Amino acid sequence: MTRRIWLASYPKSGNTWLRMLIANLAAKDDQPVGINDLAATSGIASARGPFDDLLLIDSGLLTHDEADCLRPRLYEELARGADSNEGDPREAPPAVRFIKVHDAYTLTPLGEPLLAGARGAEGAIVIVRDPRDVASSLASHRNTGIDDAIAFMNDRDAKFSANPAKQDMQLRQKLPGWSGHVASWLDQTDIPVHLVRYEDLQIDTAAVLRRALEFAGQAAADDELCRAVRFADFTRLRQQEEEKGFREAPPQAGARFFRRGETGAWRDELKPDQAARIEADHAPMMRRLGYELSHTADLPTAPISLAR
Amino acid sequence: MHFYCIAGLSVGSEIALPGLNAAASDRGTPDVMIRGRAVQSAFVDATASGPTWQIAGEQFLLRIPGVARFLLTAGNEIAFEAEPGADAGDIPTFILGTVFGILMHQREQIVLHASAVRVNDRAILFCGPSGAGKSTLAAALSQRGYRLITDDFCTITVTSTGTPVVHPDGRQLKLWAQAIEKLELEESRGERVRNRLEKFYVDPGEALVEALPLGAVYALREARPPLVPGIERPNVADAAVLLRRNAYRPRLVAHLNQKVLYFHAAATIANNAGIFHLNRKLDFAAMPEVVSSLERHWLEIGLMEKAA
Repeated sequence: MTRRIWLASYPKSGNTWLRMLIANLAAKDDQPVGINDLAATSGIASARGPFDDLLLIDSGLLTHDEADCLRPRLYEELARGADSNEGDPREAPPAVRFIKVHDAYTLTPLGEPLLAGARGAEGAIVIVRDPRDVASSLASHRNTGIDDAIAFMNDRDAKFSANPAKQDMQLRQKLPGWSGHVASWLDQTDIPVHLVRYEDLQIDTAAVLRRALEFAGQAAADDELCRAVRFADFTRLRQQEEEKGFREAPPQAGARFFRRGETGAWRDELKPDQAARIEADHAPMMRRLGYELSHTADLPTAPISLAR
Repeated sequence: MHFYCIAGLSVGSEIALPGLNAAASDRGTPDVMIRGRAVQSAFVDATASGPTWQIAGEQFLLRIPGVARFLLTAGNEIAFEAEPGADAGDIPTFILGTVFGILMHQREQIVLHASAVRVNDRAILFCGPSGAGKSTLAAALSQRGYRLITDDFCTITVTSTGTPVVHPDGRQLKLWAQAIEKLELEESRGERVRNRLEKFYVDPGEALVEALPLGAVYALREARPPLVPGIERPNVADAAVLLRRNAYRPRLVAHLNQKVLYFHAAATIANNAGIFHLNRKLDFAAMPEVVSSLERHWLEIGLMEKAA
């Protein structure tokens, strides 16, 4: 039976990079996996297609809350192997299936875990990134200013794909602030969590990747790891995007998905007051994750409450 | 009793079905009867099942939590029982939006997740998953004078002479508030599809009655990199897969053992009409260009004649 592992992160925190690293473990013929081939092999939990196809109900006729009430059934069904039916029957199902998810770990209006708890997946690799670096990347991704991104990251009611006047390709995703999102995943007790810091992944990609794979129960040989690190190097991913474009890139002209990918780029992208605001908003969680604050005076130290 | 004609079938219903044009009542026994009565919550002898549905022989049970349970028998009866607290107005919406599509699968029809418009007495279909923009494109084309044939699902039958034909069902379009605003369709806007949704019926004008030969099938795709806007013709094998993936509920094609049926239909449609990919930007500003590229394509494949 395929083990299901969530790749859970707040947007712009390195989820796609980790997916590319994992995809490149199985690179064939010594060719890097194309960034646009990713979607075909690992979808996102909030995709609308599997909901309609497995539950048979038109999600476009449901409110977001009604759809949320049914989403646990979808992930239970997928965990029973429903998504292997459509694949090539000659190919053995993978030992581990990694599924990207940006939803916070929340409960449905009926009080069940949206992602079906232990019935939906066996664990979660939670990827976090310094919120100061997330802010400028998120601003670019959403085509807003950095101040808007900072406000979005501190909004307990923030959501993706929630416009009531139109239908997105994806189901609504609750993003209850950066701190709330990270806390929702780290503090839930339904499934085991393995924490990956983007910054650590950058410093020693192979070692951090190996530990994440061990958590997921997937073995990887040294040469496969080395090759994956080489093939999914940030510069090469950006080069692929420059040459062919990336289907997950923001739609506005000239926008890049793989932008800088640097740690600490916020130092020249954020104004001091913007960095200070993020630190004031998220100090407890930043401390908990080991992100050093530059404005340490008078910041709260209370623990983050569970965001459910 | 209310009488309608849906996808070429005469339908008698105990409840009114908004968004449909009434039909004459003197056509003998209806092909399909819709009635309210007690519906069980599960089969004891299910041969296939999902989280919200079960199949047992000629019977199909679908539960839409908080709305109703629907029992479909042999493709000619839909029985429904409202769930506690249900809004009675929601039942016809789900009968037309979800249940009738499943019934057409049960009748072993080729039923695609598609909208359709008339071009020179031929039916042109646009298919894609929920959120792909089928209804919006059909609305834009009906504004250009191409009459609406059907919205949401589309049934194709092959005549004794081997011609695939499409039956209009006189259904109204369902559009989200944003699409109505962007297409300036406020004057044709009707009732809400459901009380709790910003989705409305839109009157497409005079209803078509007669069946039309199929002219072309376009599968809608968003033109994100590396896909560029344009129309492509897949090879026959890919076209067969494409047709099955765009069934109203692809999962049911497998569960009802209809893969061969869809494969043969794809060959017939590819030979008689044509199956294409339509890649376009999901942006209202791009709509005029999408419409003109379709018109150029209809000239090219002989569906339209050049103006003198």
